[in-house]
Amino acid sequence: MVTGTLLFQSLILGLLLGGLYALLAAGLTLYFGIMRVVMLAHASFIILAGYIAWRFNVVTGLDPMFSLIISVPLFFLIGFAIQRWLISRLKPATMTMMSVLITFAIALIIEGLLGMVYTGTQRRINLPYAASNFNFFGAAIPVVQIVSFVLAGLSLGALYLLLKKSRFGRALRATIQHREAAQLLGIDTDKVAGFGFGLGLATAAVGGTALALQATIYPSLHWHWIGPLMAIIVVGGLGSVPGAAIAALLLGVLRIMLEIPLGPTWAQTIFYVALFATLMVRPQGFFGGRLAQRF
Amino acid sequence: MPSVSETTPRLRARALQASTSRWRPVIAIVIALAVLALWPTIAPNPYMVSAGVVVLNYAVFATAWNIMGGFTGYISLGHAAFFGLGAYGTGLLVIHTEMYFLLAAVLAMVATVIIALPVGLAALRVRGASFVIVTIALVLVLQLVFQSWGAVTGGSDGFVVPRPFPDMLRPEHHETFFYLFLGLLAVTMAVWTLIDRSRLGAALKGVREDEDKAESLGSPTMRLKLVAFLISAAFTSLAGAFYGLWFGDLDPIFQFDIVLGSTVVLMALLGGIRYLFGPLLGALVIGAALEYFVLNYGDTQFHLIATGLLLALVVLFLPDGVLTGVAQLRARLQPQAASIREVSAEDLRAEQDRSDPGAQESDRDARTEESP
Repeated sequence: MVTGTLLFQSLILGLLLGGLYALLAAGLTLYFGIMRVVMLAHASFIILAGYIAWRFNVVTGLDPMFSLIISVPLFFLIGFAIQRWLISRLKPATMTMMSVLITFAIALIIEGLLGMVYTGTQRRINLPYAASNFNFFGAAIPVVQIVSFVLAGLSLGALYLLLKKSRFGRALRATIQHREAAQLLGIDTDKVAGFGFGLGLATAAVGGTALALQATIYPSLHWHWIGPLMAIIVVGGLGSVPGAAIAALLLGVLRIMLEIPLGPTWAQTIFYVALFATLMVRPQGFFGGRLAQRF
Repeated sequence: MPSVSETTPRLRARALQASTSRWRPVIAIVIALAVLALWPTIAPNPYMVSAGVVVLNYAVFATAWNIMGGFTGYISLGHAAFFGLGAYGTGLLVIHTEMYFLLAAVLAMVATVIIALPVGLAALRVRGASFVIVTIALVLVLQLVFQSWGAVTGGSDGFVVPRPFPDMLRPEHHETFFYLFLGLLAVTMAVWTLIDRSRLGAALKGVREDEDKAESLGSPTMRLKLVAFLISAAFTSLAGAFYGLWFGDLDPIFQFDIVLGSTVVLMALLGGIRYLFGPLLGALVIGAALEYFVLNYGDTQFHLIATGLLLALVVLFLPDGVLTGVAQLRARLQPQAASIREVSAEDLRAEQDRSDPGAQESDRDARTEESP
């Protein structure tokens, strides 16, 4: 029996999940905006961040969120290095395709290393607040979901402010809109692109930690994330951060709502249905503006 | 226009060259397959024959992939979807209708092409990035569907395909399938060569080199890409069908696997996607290496790391493949071809004497085009 409470609870849970999706998809749109790169390793870095959070918790006994002090700067540096040492070396003509392959290679290496070091066993962080619920107008919302949503919301807000208000954000947006023009204005676009990549990967660090709070993690889990995240950025319009955010919230809610009649596995297909429908009806994406109107 | 006296000898020479070079790939295919065909007789044990089947399966898969990837430059990471559809389709047909396995394979191929049509239409409407995303999504969604739809596909419990030759012993079975795969490889390579030499192939290469220019010259790039995509899917499906019949046990996780799809891309890239023998060479090297890793480090994730590292190295340092590298090396070692700048004044004067003044201009153009 589908009750109003259940629907309401699903709506809330969907929005909470969508927030996490939005944060993770924002990173993907950054890469695509800056370098036209489809970064397939994003999801495996999410899982890596989850493992860092888990390991941090096991070793220190502190709340896994403190692991962000390590993982965010680390991921920023890795992202910078990936852009400067790998992506920018590729020939411009075959950039899109070859960057897909090289980021895929990174994903395989991360999955393989995690599997070798920590085996394929499923890991879960023991949190004191893991089982507690928060009552919200009759809907029981797990506290961890709220915590991870707040984490995602804060970082998305920080990302927005950084892009909109800071000098670096302006330089990055200029680089995305028109690389040559930005260069003419004296912007070191190579450096900015590297920082942009680092920023994108830093969102994976936050997202992975948020994910590890509420889910069981294992090395091959990133395959389950690649599809939905890719679908979100296509539906949102490749390269558009607000588009990705709207698509993420929408698809997150749809997915959780569809779980009631269909069950979790079939509900997952909504992402692919949305992806194919978008390409058939509106290949440029539903929410993305024109190139000049990004962000 | 060059004068008649000027063009005919050259044309005749070209025609002569063409008639010998027309058969060159056919001869090369026959020789290569004949050498490969010796494997079951020299293999030390049945396991090595079965490893040979795996490598040949990769070779067919990579060559089929190359019909799309090599000609158009569109890199699909999702061909494992067609591989899995071929395998499952054939298996389901054989079980439910008990039809002859080759007929089942062909029908599964038709079904795969029918499924690939809307996917290709969606994927090819947009350039580059979205195409890759759609191909990945296709594998993931099929894996999801085949896992969830347990009533038909057996779900994660797997699915047993009846063997087409039930009274054969295992070594004979491997050997039979070795030759079946060899035949399929021959057909796939022949089709690649046919396309390579046809107008379709030339148009597809136009897409690869500069899609915008090809389109502005009136080439129906969308339709061309779709045709290549469907042919490629068809042969991939056949490879999957044979694999399913040979291996006999299907699991969605292994049939619809992005790692499988990307391994095949790695093979084609390593060998060189512009060459007929590129994917075969890549399959021989990487297929053998993978078999070795599985045998020796089967229970670790080392094969993932090895595949990843190799893929990164190939993309960074050998994006055009080994065969291109060899060709460039050979060109550097051979005496340099004469360029227009190296034509001496005497040569030019002699040429002017031979041709009328009107032909002179266009003749020089022709020379410029030919010089590297």
